[in-house]
Amino acid sequence: MTINRREFIKANAVAAAAAVAGVSVPAVASNLITSSDITKLKWDKAACRFCGTGCSVNVGVMDGKVVATHGDIKSPVNKGLSCVKGYFLSKIMYGKDRLTTPLLRMTNGKYDKEGEFTPISWDQAFNVMAEKANDALKKDGPEALGMFGSGQWTVQEGYAAVKLMKAGFRTNNIDPNARHCMASAVGGFMRTFGIDEPMGCYDDLEAADAFVLWGSNMAEMHPILWTRLTDRRLSAPHVKVAVLSTFEHRSFDLADNGMIFTPQTDLAILNYIANYIIQTGRVNKDFVSKHTNFRLGETDIGYGLRPEHPLEQKAKNNGKTKGSSTPIDFDEYAKFVSTYTVESVSKLSGVPEHKLKELAEMYADPKVKVTSFWTMGFNQHTRGVWANNLVYNIHLLTGKISTPGNSPFSLTGQPSACGTAREVGTFSHRLPADMVVANPKHRAIAEKTWDLPEGTIPPKPGYHAVLQNRMLKDGKLNFYWVQCNNNMQAAANINEEAYPGYRNPKNFIVVSDPYPTVTAQAADLILPTAMWVEKEGVYGNAERRTQSWYQMVEAPTGAKSDLWQLVEFSKRFKVEDVWPEELIAKKPDVRGKTLFDVLYKDSSVGKFPLTEVPEDRLNDESRDFGFYIQKGLFEEYASFGRGHAHDLAPYDRYHKERGLRWPVVNGKETKWRFKEGSDPYCKPGSGWDFYGKPDGRAIIFALPYEPAAESPDEEYDLWLSTGRVLEHWHSGSMTQRVPELYKAMPDALVYMHPDDAKKRNMRRGDLVKLISRRGEVQTRVETRGRNKPPIGLVYMPWFDASRLVNKVTLDATDPLSKETDYKKCAIKIVKV
Amino acid sequence: MTQKKQRTPEYHVASLVASPILAQLDEVKAVITAVEGAEIHAVSDEGKIVLTVEGTGFKDLDKKIDLIRAHKGILNLSPVYHQVLDEEQEKKLAESDDALSLEIK
Repeated sequence: MTINRREFIKANAVAAAAAVAGVSVPAVASNLITSSDITKLKWDKAACRFCGTGCSVNVGVMDGKVVATHGDIKSPVNKGLSCVKGYFLSKIMYGKDRLTTPLLRMTNGKYDKEGEFTPISWDQAFNVMAEKANDALKKDGPEALGMFGSGQWTVQEGYAAVKLMKAGFRTNNIDPNARHCMASAVGGFMRTFGIDEPMGCYDDLEAADAFVLWGSNMAEMHPILWTRLTDRRLSAPHVKVAVLSTFEHRSFDLADNGMIFTPQTDLAILNYIANYIIQTGRVNKDFVSKHTNFRLGETDIGYGLRPEHPLEQKAKNNGKTKGSSTPIDFDEYAKFVSTYTVESVSKLSGVPEHKLKELAEMYADPKVKVTSFWTMGFNQHTRGVWANNLVYNIHLLTGKISTPGNSPFSLTGQPSACGTAREVGTFSHRLPADMVVANPKHRAIAEKTWDLPEGTIPPKPGYHAVLQNRMLKDGKLNFYWVQCNNNMQAAANINEEAYPGYRNPKNFIVVSDPYPTVTAQAADLILPTAMWVEKEGVYGNAERRTQSWYQMVEAPTGAKSDLWQLVEFSKRFKVEDVWPEELIAKKPDVRGKTLFDVLYKDSSVGKFPLTEVPEDRLNDESRDFGFYIQKGLFEEYASFGRGHAHDLAPYDRYHKERGLRWPVVNGKETKWRFKEGSDPYCKPGSGWDFYGKPDGRAIIFALPYEPAAESPDEEYDLWLSTGRVLEHWHSGSMTQRVPELYKAMPDALVYMHPDDAKKRNMRRGDLVKLISRRGEVQTRVETRGRNKPPIGLVYMPWFDASRLVNKVTLDATDPLSKETDYKKCAIKIVKV
Repeated sequence: MTQKKQRTPEYHVASLVASPILAQLDEVKAVITAVEGAEIHAVSDEGKIVLTVEGTGFKDLDKKIDLIRAHKGILNLSPVYHQVLDEEQEKKLAESDDALSLEIK
């Protein structure tokens, strides 16, 4: 038979979808999918650029341009599927306003903070950056330098940045935007288990009998995992789904038990479940006695606001002791949670008693395998670490952990929040492989690996994300480089903190981005950045899966990857410029060398020759620097974790796999950690071994419900929760440029209950003002739509650069994780 | 002001898998076939629908996909494959082939 080109492509598309759905279609189509020579497309695999799920996509390149994508059928994560965002991946690189030249604010040919953005060369850009960085260094020392990075950086980019900042410039003022999304999850893991990241994996989705979503709208935010959950629910009739949120969203469509609770009362619900398990005699005593300890945590720990804020003045324990705890026994713990009765918690949370009981019974029934999922509802919470601790309590009390289907699972928002932010340690307090700068032994290990003199890495944790904006405003952080994020839109309370900070005349702000984001426009220098498959990289997803991809296309001329920018910039500094003489004296051979030599070329990063880059592959950075830099950075970074329960496979293997879940020991990935038989690090005979803690025992914490930082009152009478939508990735700087995503969800609306609208004499589509104590934003009312808030709460997404909801949010953070609570503040709404 | 729509030189095709609520399978199928350019190719034993949507541009394609996705009977609509062909590419491909049509055995 004869078919034309279009029919042929369509048949390809059908074959791909049929393979995913597991149905057969006529033979014509099924034979076509791999005949790439006929389509002239060159196919290759890459990790998706967007969320933390870590789907693998096949990318089709023709004439140096990405023209096709499809879900990777060989990927164990997405099994050939894609979500709406992933499906439009090919378009993210081709927005009309893609930046291709550095832009500096200038007047009459000279840098001027109040000047207009003017195109300059890369050489000029690095000159002015080096001058400003040197000025800041000379004037106020390394603490005047800072960097704000990303969970969307590749592993290599994050690692190169950590080395440049912590060892090169000797400042710990580097933090990723993952502070806004995952810091509480990290805090929870470290506190309960002593080691970061989930013990389970996505295989739990096909093994669980029950799913509980805590502050996670998976249907919109993790669509592929939601597809797997949906499949499990529909193919196994006994499977139940419980969904908890402060407003009704798309995930409620599948819920057997949907619960709307008053903001912050999730803490009380979690304690009620623990109490229910104890009261009904369903504690797994054998597990609890062998594998757990009980501790009573410090309370009244404040809200992470500026010290002069009245709430901080009032808090009793917001100082150094805020994360402390004391040992207790089971009986004391049981007594502690006994006040969380169904009656009292139902009253507090607004969730009917029968629904609470049904939820608690799901966890308590020893025959039901339960997987709990959570995202920002738990993490963006002034008691986010506590919320994480409390959900682990439930899984530990019942022993429902680390076995297929029994899984407390913290989902991740960004594609490499786990890989780059957490595992690499781009946080202001961290080093690779869960190590911290405050620990002298950890610093010594890093200095040894990096072949640097003792005392190079400063011991004091640097400014975290929220503190960076405050320090910019206060004029203490003066040279600031932002890469791969859009914090002027993403940070809370930008009116009072971020914007004045960026525009403070004492400061020089550099923003690297592919597009002119709100943050870029608030900067003094914008650097045009290469993205995704325009560079080689590695991402680490939420189930500890490390995935790599090759560079597939050239970036637009003039745009350079974050990695190239960081490493090229390091050539501008001699060691003598940045290190004190006494440090250089400890290792005199570094004298006269540049940071590029010391940190990259002459270190183990530089040991893989260019010949190891496959000849037919693009690799702009390696060919420019003269060695296989992505491999060198990866291997040096991986050496931190090998033998320490964070083992990664050799770099080259990742190019052949659809990712591997660490620890990878003897070539084998690990699906469930802490369980003997599936985790090679467990001691023989232990059964379970929570080896992150010295005695192998996880901690069950007694922690109370404490109120939110700000609640509605007479004047500001509504709760405001912010969040994301399916069509847009975070601040929308990429997806807002895809016309069809923009059209599907063009403006951020405020979703409110029809009765709340009526009470204020408002109708759907009315222009209104959301006003808080900090600022105001205009938008239109939506009373129908996909999100249905209860009376007393409104929801507005934050992707819309023309309607910055973060002008009204409060920069209250979890005092332990320093993560902002974007889900709760008090506002009023008036008609314009 | 009225805008004259120019003929877009692009051809887009996407394939998707829809998971309907089983009780509403027929209704969902009817909704899909009612959309211009949408076509059902197979339905699995579990009720999963394999469909394609063709269109003249991203916008056009997305509008059609949105029409389908909005239906309450669909729990999940997952795109699988997407390809764009513009006239220039089609021309190039045609030149590099013997003819625009291909012999499939």
